[in-house]
Amino acid sequence: MTRRVYLDHNASTPVHPEVVADMLPYFGEIFGNPSSVHAFGREAREGMDRARERVARFLGASADEIVFTSGGTESDNLAIKGLAYARGRGHFITSRIEHHAVLRACQWLETQGFEVTYLPVDELGMVDPGDVKRAIRPDTIGITIMHANSEVGTIQPIAAIGAIAREHAIPLHVDAVQTFGKVPIDLDAMGIALLSFSGHKIYGPKGVAGLYVRKGTKMVTIQHGGEHERRRRAGTENVAGIVGFGKAVEVRARDMAGEAVRLAALRDRLWDGIRARVPDVKLNGHPTDRLPGTANISYRNVESESVVLGLDLKGIGVSAGSACTSGSVEPSYVLVAMGVALGWAMGAVRHSLGRSTAADDIDYVIESVEPIVKKLRGALPVGAR
Amino acid sequence: MRYSPTLIDHFLNPRNAGLMRDPDGVGEEQDAGCGDLARFFLKSARGVVSDVRFQAYGCGPTIAAASAASELITGRALGDVTHLEATEVERAVDGLPEDRKHAADVVARALRAAARACLGGAPEGG
Ligand SMILES: Cc1ncc(COP(=O)(O)O)c(C=O)c1O
Repeated sequence: MTRRVYLDHNASTPVHPEVVADMLPYFGEIFGNPSSVHAFGREAREGMDRARERVARFLGASADEIVFTSGGTESDNLAIKGLAYARGRGHFITSRIEHHAVLRACQWLETQGFEVTYLPVDELGMVDPGDVKRAIRPDTIGITIMHANSEVGTIQPIAAIGAIAREHAIPLHVDAVQTFGKVPIDLDAMGIALLSFSGHKIYGPKGVAGLYVRKGTKMVTIQHGGEHERRRRAGTENVAGIVGFGKAVEVRARDMAGEAVRLAALRDRLWDGIRARVPDVKLNGHPTDRLPGTANISYRNVESESVVLGLDLKGIGVSAGSACTSGSVEPSYVLVAMGVALGWAMGAVRHSLGRSTAADDIDYVIESVEPIVKKLRGALPVGAR
Repeated sequence: MRYSPTLIDHFLNPRNAGLMRDPDGVGEEQDAGCGDLARFFLKSARGVVSDVRFQAYGCGPTIAAASAASELITGRALGDVTHLEATEVERAVDGLPEDRKHAADVVARALRAAARACLGGAPEGG
């Protein structure tokens, strides 16, 4: 078990060496509080300002529209609760396949007197913009739809949804944690008012993220304290993390396009290889409108956790669609929302590729998974599920 | 690794996995929570388990526990197998994490049912 293949980049990524190099001084000589007026503080602020500029440039936004936060989760919470509490009451539209950071923020708002519509998705994991339009009410105060889902990678028709939102003057929040730095985002063409994005999915550090807030969007802070981040997010900033995030974005701006083409080819090589060798398999998610590095594959009548364990023992890191926690196995709520039958949903395994993934890694995974699934199916009771 | 080397070995190389054509008794149980399923086929001679096969669907620990338990009960008196405890199955895989204890439980229940079936199909009391 010397060989190690990491195919869980949608969960997190290793920090890029160029990012580490840029961060290091901020753990040593540059340590001031960026709010301090003296030279020590100013040096820290300069690093942070540079990062903000880089992120803004990458998004085609202005620097004062970027708020740094502690993670994609906080960005989602700030966007949704910030919109809601600025209005006091009203209705939100979201989808059933959002990340828990969005779903549970919305569920929380329901306990506070807000109302939420959770839109269905089709069998490929797509939200129908027509459904968004039909769900709009006179009191709708926000729409929050993710750009791509982390499990299946289906990319949503954000531009169409954004056009509808704009037509009704409703702010659209997009959770782009899985797409930022991987596929192009055009804030204006897509009609986006707020955008969440995170560092650790793009070879930046964990615990640092951003929220784009379009100028003129009415919202309030959810964390009270000092005057940081233009009073949108109180608390002394994670300077080293933000500097690293800025560098990670710069590197993505340089590498993104080429990497997307390379990963899409490897992703398809993986699926083609597996389906050629293993019977009774299915690809979940949209065949083409999908994250370049994501392949969610179901092995019918096999429990995904045992496939994950078998691959782990081969040094391969992938993730299971179903989770056996506290004695009950739940198929992924995303696959359930897509209408994937239980016998397929329970056997879903997500492979998410990244910078380090090479063609021979993919071939190693294909070779490794075939005997594992065969063995598991060999022990399968007739008529199980 | 959160699983013992013994468990991993049974997971990678399950003993006695598969179907048996003409068993003397079959027992099957499913975990109500997670749906893991174990089915045992037993053959007996003079009141002793002479051959065993299992089929299982579930997480790695369930498959491993079924394999280890199949070795554990081979050669054992059927009467004893009707009292097989989950803790003994768990010991056979050198322990299970708290959230995987159900693996030993579903396997022990299926084996007890199979042993009872061999002895004349009396249902489990209580
Ligand atoms: C779509 C989506 N939103 C939000 C998050 C949360 O981001 P973070 O881990 O930075 O809190 C994730 C992380 O998995 C995600 O995939």
